[in-house]
Amino acid sequence: MPLLGSADPIAIVGAAATPVGRLAPRRGEPTEQLEHEVLAEVVLRALDDAGIGNRDVGSAVFTLPPANTLQLGFATFMCARLGLRCTGQVAEVVEMGITGGLAFDQAAADVSLGHADFALALGVSFQSAMPAADAMEGSIRVVGDVDFQSPFGLTPISWYAFDAARYLHDTGASREDLAAIAVKSRQHAAHNELAQFGDPLTVDDVLNARPIVEPLGLFDVPAIADGAICLVLARESTARATGKAFVTVRGRGFYHEGFHQVGDVPGDITAFPAARRATDAAMDRAGIQLADLDLAEIYAPCTITEVLVSEALDICPRGQGGAAARDGETAIGGHLPLNTSGGCLARGHPPSLTALYGLLELRQQLLHTAGPRQVNDARLGLHLCELGNYNAALAHVVEGPQ
Amino acid sequence: MSLAIIGMPGDRPLAPRVTRFTAQFWDALAEGRFLVTRCKACHQKSFPPQAHCKSCLGCDIDWIELGGRGRLYSATRVHAGPARFAAALPYSVGIVDLDDGVRLATRLLGNAGPEHLDQPVQLVVTRYQDGPLFAAELVAPDASIP
Repeated sequence: MPLLGSADPIAIVGAAATPVGRLAPRRGEPTEQLEHEVLAEVVLRALDDAGIGNRDVGSAVFTLPPANTLQLGFATFMCARLGLRCTGQVAEVVEMGITGGLAFDQAAADVSLGHADFALALGVSFQSAMPAADAMEGSIRVVGDVDFQSPFGLTPISWYAFDAARYLHDTGASREDLAAIAVKSRQHAAHNELAQFGDPLTVDDVLNARPIVEPLGLFDVPAIADGAICLVLARESTARATGKAFVTVRGRGFYHEGFHQVGDVPGDITAFPAARRATDAAMDRAGIQLADLDLAEIYAPCTITEVLVSEALDICPRGQGGAAARDGETAIGGHLPLNTSGGCLARGHPPSLTALYGLLELRQQLLHTAGPRQVNDARLGLHLCELGNYNAALAHVVEGPQ
Repeated sequence: MSLAIIGMPGDRPLAPRVTRFTAQFWDALAEGRFLVTRCKACHQKSFPPQAHCKSCLGCDIDWIELGGRGRLYSATRVHAGPARFAAALPYSVGIVDLDDGVRLATRLLGNAGPEHLDQPVQLVVTRYQDGPLFAAELVAPDASIP
């Protein structure tokens, strides 16, 4: 039976997405489009990209729409509108930031197991119409124990602020070092037509922005964003028959360290062991090492998060993640470019879809269709997504056409 | 070992649910005592308290009282929060490592922030009109030993 990393691996054979940004109707203004209308256009483009029709699709794994989405039963509702007749599954999946990765994994498993010839990993997220203060009413119940932590008002990014405060305290790195990530992200996004923020940003802009969760300011954290995306998956043998260009998944790894945000035993919260474990597992499966990678797209909602992942994976030494971005080592043209899309801070961060957008970026880079932000001769890419405070991580190694 | 009890205005922004089991924690907290559970078999402490040991899954557990002294492991001031916390903005939260070897996340009193890491803190009871929560506050170094 074919499995990930096997002789007949999973291929991404089609994809489409909207730019990340504001898609949701503004309150008091005429409704331009609703979630299902936007996603339907994206799916039609993705199927066209893969060279297949609706009756070729055997599984449709959706990311769970955010809580403010009025249409429930969203998966079968969409399948009905798209004329799909699925043999594998129709489902909505969710677990915090790893949600898009789970949709991808579940779609991959269906084609791998032979439940479907083609499977969609897809989703739409309209959140921009909801005030952040209202959205956080729900999110504080996600990122904490509702009875023993949420009553203190621990917002999702307050956990990354804890990482940042401790990291700066322990390493002697500065807020300027963190700001280098935000500046680099904008530089990458300037050449990404899907990006929410392509305008340049200076270190001073980042340092002088209003505080959000100290020591992180406005440009250290992601903005609210909408998006819609669809990836089409198949086994490599099936993908080959379409005659279309495709990339393949060569390895996959997952690890949950067993904590929900924070454990009750003292330890280093900035070490991100799950990122390392998941990545090592994926690279082992692919038979490669870090030095073999040409780029990595990593789920990093805040500046500090990219710094900590780059250090957890030994891409740069402890305390040097920000400096590596400033010196260009993790920028396009550098030793190992990270988040060539612009990442959560500039490409944008609709949380349930971010992993799918990251995989889309790898596909563009590995097919050499990334335009001015193309990484030269890119052949192997790493994708990493996470949940909580990197309590769990999911990694995929993706390879371009042979 | 009794914790100081500090009166707070109004109700808790978000009130914890209390079960037959966790009532033992909240009832003790209201009297100034901070309890965690400990497995009788493997001595693993758990906070939040739970009726079984997450290490060995043993169900024979003790409630033990902690002194509430510790150090501030990390901290942030939250300037953008949920609607129900709007009146408290900006507010401070932190991760506290208690001397008894237990880590927890909680509200910080006295505007503590990232500049106070590793400083000694003390748990206190915050008594709202609708019930208790706990919080941590910085301890002046010369007051750390009574």
